[in-house]
Order: sequence, then structure tokens, then C-alpha cells
Amino acid sequence: MGKRFKIALAGNPNCGKTSVFNALTGARQHVGNYPGVTVESKSGFFEIGGIEIELIDLPGVYSLSSSSPEEDIVFQELTKRGIDLILNVIDSSIPRRSLYLTTQIAELHIPMMLVFNMSDDARKKGLKFDIPKLEKYFGSPIAQTIGRSPGGVKQLVEKLSASLKNLEKHGVPMLSYGADIDDSISAVAKKIDALSIESFKHIPSRFFAIKLMERDSSTMKIPELKPAWAEAEEQIKHLSSIHAVDDTGTFMADRRYGMISGACRDAISMTNEKRREISDKIDNIMTNKLFGLPIFLAIIYAMFWFTFTCAEPFMDWIDGAFGLLADSVKSGWGEETLPYLRSLITDGVIAGVGGVLVFLPNILFLFFAIAILEDSGYMARAAFVMDGIMRKFGLQGKSFVPLVLGFGCNVPAIMATRTIESERDRKTTIMVLPLMSCGARLPVYALIIPAFFAAQYQAFMMWVMYVIGVIVALVAARIMKNTIFKGDGEVFLMELPPYRLPTLRSLLLSMWDRGKMYLTKAGTIILGTSIILYIANTYPEKTEFSKDYDAQIELVKNGSRLGENQLDVLAPILSAEQLAQAKDSGEISQETVEGVSAENLNAAQKEVLEKIVAANASVAALENERGAEAMEYTVSGRVGKFLEPVFSPIGFDWKLTTASIGALAAKEVFVSQLGILYAQGEADEESVPLREQLAKNYTPLQGFCIMLFTLLSIPCLATLAVIKRELNSWTAAIVEAVGLLALAYFATLAVYQAGTALDIGTKIIG
Amino acid sequence: MKPASEKNAKHNITLADLPVGASATVVKIIPRSRGEKKFADIGLVPGTELILESRALFGGLIRVKVMETSMALHSADARNILMRRG
Repeated sequence: MGKRFKIALAGNPNCGKTSVFNALTGARQHVGNYPGVTVESKSGFFEIGGIEIELIDLPGVYSLSSSSPEEDIVFQELTKRGIDLILNVIDSSIPRRSLYLTTQIAELHIPMMLVFNMSDDARKKGLKFDIPKLEKYFGSPIAQTIGRSPGGVKQLVEKLSASLKNLEKHGVPMLSYGADIDDSISAVAKKIDALSIESFKHIPSRFFAIKLMERDSSTMKIPELKPAWAEAEEQIKHLSSIHAVDDTGTFMADRRYGMISGACRDAISMTNEKRREISDKIDNIMTNKLFGLPIFLAIIYAMFWFTFTCAEPFMDWIDGAFGLLADSVKSGWGEETLPYLRSLITDGVIAGVGGVLVFLPNILFLFFAIAILEDSGYMARAAFVMDGIMRKFGLQGKSFVPLVLGFGCNVPAIMATRTIESERDRKTTIMVLPLMSCGARLPVYALIIPAFFAAQYQAFMMWVMYVIGVIVALVAARIMKNTIFKGDGEVFLMELPPYRLPTLRSLLLSMWDRGKMYLTKAGTIILGTSIILYIANTYPEKTEFSKDYDAQIELVKNGSRLGENQLDVLAPILSAEQLAQAKDSGEISQETVEGVSAENLNAAQKEVLEKIVAANASVAALENERGAEAMEYTVSGRVGKFLEPVFSPIGFDWKLTTASIGALAAKEVFVSQLGILYAQGEADEESVPLREQLAKNYTPLQGFCIMLFTLLSIPCLATLAVIKRELNSWTAAIVEAVGLLALAYFATLAVYQAGTALDIGTKIIG
Repeated sequence: MKPASEKNAKHNITLADLPVGASATVVKIIPRSRGEKKFADIGLVPGTELILESRALFGGLIRVKVMETSMALHSADARNILMRRG
């Protein structure tokens, strides 16, 4: 087996690095995280002519200056031992800016290859490259690519294969900063050489000398280099005394841009320079002072419309599919064999996980829409337009997109905060994000609102819930900014990349990457919670009841058994099948009765039907009563009863208490749990009987309190886990969970007590 | 003829003061100002020509075209970048 080569992929943000990475590695990718930071690490594998290659995709950076976590990572990765070659991706339509990073990478003196990507854009712009001259200048082969088009990396693959066979003979030069600075660099490098640091033998001391003279923080963190600091400072002083540089700390950057200007003048020519590109024209409207905001609002509205309307049919399919699955398991699995496992799987697992997966289309559509906005370049414009407004609340432009994502699912939304460089702004955004009313709270509102509010107020109430979330989030952000996260923010610098037409492939990839997280949640937390809740709802089983329900039900059934003549009366309005069933069992199900059209019934038929309805109702009442008695006996019932005194001041009885506790794992659980408690079988947010039960048992004020509590408490365990990971602190996650719970409790307490005192919505309407 | 003071001011404005659509050349970044290195890395070094493309509605964000790339930064930071109009 031959050697496996390790190649690092480096380049500016938005240079098309990811498309080159995808084109080279295809599906063989591994995504992870750099330890301790929130920068994504990605590596992939591929083969060229039998040579195994591991490709490491580094974060996009403008420089190796370690002024951001990304730059620090790139610095660490590139100075590690074992990198055989660096692929430096360059947006060749903007060579001057892109080659800046190249000048620094060259100083590592590791074999390098330049990828002049977006060569189609460069051609359109009229840029002509003297490739042999540039190859000589940087001592590295250059491949021209179009990463976004299939087959666009052919030249790269060919040249890469040739380079790998000849790694020793690379000619990466020492780029000159001008005689004066070069002398100073040599002096510092000599000091570093004298230290003979074992771990950095593979990198020229000149690289570190330059970094020390830039007072680069990643380099200053290397303890072995400390003895050379004084010399670096000495040389800076010397250089300013001879007026070679001024005391700006950016003179190296100055000179690098000078080098590039020199190289570009000789080797790059521009034939038809178009000063104003189409992208600029679009931007004149999109980021316009007047139109920017309305356009932005329209785009966000379109995104929500797309997410909720277009996903609807798919949600129905999934819902149907899980119903079918549960039914087929039930019918294929005899009731006698392992009855507990059977009901655990059908009523617990399939119903629980299915209830979450129903929202997968919503989530995927939302992420698809977001990927369009990101890949097209609009997201950066949205951040630009919203920055001012967000800043008033202690957030910033880049906070906006994650907050909007939060309406879909808080988990990927929290991960999306990674684009916020300012640590303080990022923390604030993460902390308030769970207040964005996510898709999982929707079923709770959808159950409660129609139960307590008249049709004309229902849409308004839904809107009110979302608005309360947004207002509380903004106020909380403002408070945090003025207290725990006080002080000046970091420098804000954001590129607005040119508008591009997104490729379907990249949209689907990005949708899938994020959707996977939601699926994982369904497969882990929801699955676990469903099982635990099922067990808590079922055990211990009550065997002795306060009365003999079976006997009483039998009594009612016997008393109302349908006779021959009654069946004859009903025969004309029943189907043959229904009639046969009725003859067989002597009863007619409530479902069948409701299916019979009320029109054109004669008096006799009406009378028989009314009797059946009455009998069915008393059977159902007895069954409910037995169910409730069994429920109170279970773990859930006992926990609910035990905690009832704590929750009764906010208007919750023991049933709402158990449901709320279950919902701490995931909000979706609230609806199914309440359904089980009210013994309505498999409840979902469309369950009318459950709504009737709620309306009969609770006041509208209590209904509102349920929604408020649901909105303000932590959405689900997955959100908590992702907060822990993104802030890299258990303390933060626990503070967040306890804080939100306290906020939810006291806000609901205030509303319930005030409502009760003022007598608002305290009458049961059902 | 314009008064000397106005002429002088024209050569000594900061990036934050540029009108929308104007182009100008970077003269100097105030030493040890916030983010000087970050700005230098994206090409805001003496001699670079840039265009002020637009200003956001609130909050003082400005959009600058530098090295053929649109960059957004805050006026507060832009005040540390001294410019000369062409």
C-alpha cells in the first residue's frame, strides 16, 4: 500500500473552496468540529491514479493573522507536521485580494498549488493571466477551475497528480518584503534558529519571524518563541527610526499588497473592465436605504409561505404513513404475544417518533429556502439591512438570520450563530434564541387556541404567541447587553459576496446537513422520551378499581342491545357492511352514527339513533373514568399529583403538570401526553374530543397560561444539548434551562393571578 | 476658487465621512485603532482606492467596495481610516 497524502485546502471566504472540495471528494466526507471552538472541521478522501489522498477543508480566511477563531485554526492546522501539500483556492476574478493569503502560505515553504477558481467569472471580466509567469513567481503549479460546474476541476486533478509525484522539487520562493524589512526579518529569524525548536523544524524560522514582527497572537502564544520577542520589537523600533515603516502594526500587510501589485502588473491584464457589474446594480436596490427593508420583509414572508404551504402535502403523507405503520404492526402482531412490548412500540415509539417526523418536511423546506438565500448571497445583505434595528436591542445584523431560523427549529438556528464573530453578540443571540417560537410549539397552540377562542380571534392569538416570543427575546437581549455582556463589541466586518445562482446540488447538500440534526433528535431524544413517558403513563398498573367498570359497561351494553325491529328501522340508512356488523354485535359505533347524514331521517330512525348515542356516551364516560383512575395510579399521575401544589398557582392541575413536565423533553410531547391523560387514545392537535374535554375542564385563562408556559420554557433537550455544545459550557446550558423555566413560571404566575383577580377569561365555556 | 480650509478638509476626511458613490484613496489607518489588522488584511492599506457604495438605514453600517469586493463595516471603525479624495 502506498503512502496516503495529506492535503490542506485553504482560501478566502466565498472563493468557492467548498465547491472545489465537493467536486474532488464527492460523497466521501466527514464533518466534525475543532475541539473547544465552534469552527466546523471537514475532511474528505479521494484517489488520483491509485494515490490515496486525505483532503482537509480549512475555514475560509483572508489572512493568517489570527484575528478570528477561524484564522487561528488555519494557523494551527497549517503549522502542524504532516501536511504534504497546500491547495490554495483563489477567486481568480479578484486576484489581488485572493493572493494576499497566498503570500503568507508561501512563507510556510510547504509544497503549494494554486487553484484559480471561478475562471469563468474571470474570463467574463476580461482578466487574462500569464500563467507560466505566475507559476514561476509563486514557485507553484496553477490549475484553472470552475468548481461549480461538473468537470470543472479536470485540470486541477491532472496537475495535482503530477505535483504529488514530484513533491521534493517544489520551488516555493522566499517572497521579498523589500531589502530593509528583509534584513530585519533575517535578524529575528537568526534568533529563532538559535532556539532550535524541535516541534517547528519543518517550518522556516522566517515565517515565525514575520509573524512576531506583526505581533501575531497565535505566534505569541507559542512559549518556545518567547526569547525572540525582544529582537522582533528591537527590529520594529529600528525600522521606524529609519522611517522604513510607520508605527501602524500593519506595515507587513502594506508590503504584501505591494508584492501582489507587482506580480499582478506583470502577469495579469484586464481587457474589458466593467466597472459596474450586474451584482452591483442589484445591490443598489437590495441594500437601498428606502427599499432595503421592505424587500427584506417580503423575502422573509415568501420564505415562510414556502415553508408552511409547500410542505403541507408531505406532512400529510408522513402522518398517514405512520398511522399505517402503527396499524399494520398492530394487526400483524397478535395481542397475545408480548402485549406490553406491542403497545410500547405502537403507542409509544411509533406515535412519539412519528409525531416529530411529521415536522420534517417543514424543517427541510425551511432549510432549503435558507440555503437559497445563503448561496445566492442575499443573507449578507439581510444582515446589512437589519443591523441597525438589531443593534438597538443589543444584537447585530448577523443575529437576525439565526433568529428567523429559530421559528423553524431552535437546534440548527443555534448552530447558525457561528457566523457571528463577536463572542458577546453570539452568546446573547444563543441565550435568547429559545424564545423564538419554534415548530414544536405549534401543535400546542393548534390544540389550545380553537378550544378556547372564537374562530375570528384564532389567527390573532397565534400571531400574539409569536410576537410575545419575539418581544421577550429582544427585551432579554437588551437586558443582557446592559448587564452580563456589557462593553464594546468586536469589530464588525462582513463581506457581501457577489450574487450567484445557487446550484441545486449545493442547496440539497446544505438542506440535508441541517435536516439530519432534526432527524437525530427524533431518533434519540424523542425516542427515549416516548419510551420513558409511555412507561410512566402505564405503570404501575391498577388492578383494583373503586367500582367494577367492566360489569357496569356490560350492563349498559346489554340494556341497549339493538333488537330486530330497531335494526330494520335503521337498515335503509346503513351500508350492507355496517348492517351486518350491527347485527353481529348488537351495537353501532359512535363513528358510524356520526357518519349517517342527519337529513331525511324519519322520526323512528331518529329515536333509535338518539338511544344509541346516549348508550355510547355512557360507555365512553365509564371508560374515561376508569382510564383516569388508572392514570392517577401511574408514575405520571403520582408525580403530577405531587407537584400540583407548585403548579396550581399558575393555573395547572395535575394533568397539565404531568404534560408540562413531559414537555420539558420536547414540546410536541405536551399534546400527546394530554391526550393520553384525557384517555382519548391517540391524540393529535386536530383531536376535536380532546379540545372539547379541555374546554369543559379549563378556563380560557388557563388555556392562555398553558401556551405562555410552553412558549417561554426551554423547547427541548436537543436545544439544551446544542447550547451546551456551542457555548462549550454546562453552566451556561443549566443557567439557560433554569432561567427560562423561572421566566416561564413567573410570567405565567403573574398572568394567571392578574387574570383571576381581574376576572378575565375565568369562565368555563365548554 | 474654494477657500483653503475646505480644500484641506477634502484631503483629510475619514472613510465614515465619504458621501455615497464617492471614491477615495486610503491614506492611513490610525495606529492601534480597533481592528486595524483586520482592515489591513482585506486591503485597507495606504494607497488602496475604494468606493463608498451605500449606508444602512439605522445603526451606521456602511458598504465599501475595496479590492473589487463589497465589505460592510461600522462608521465608528471607519472613522479611524483616513482618506484622500481623488
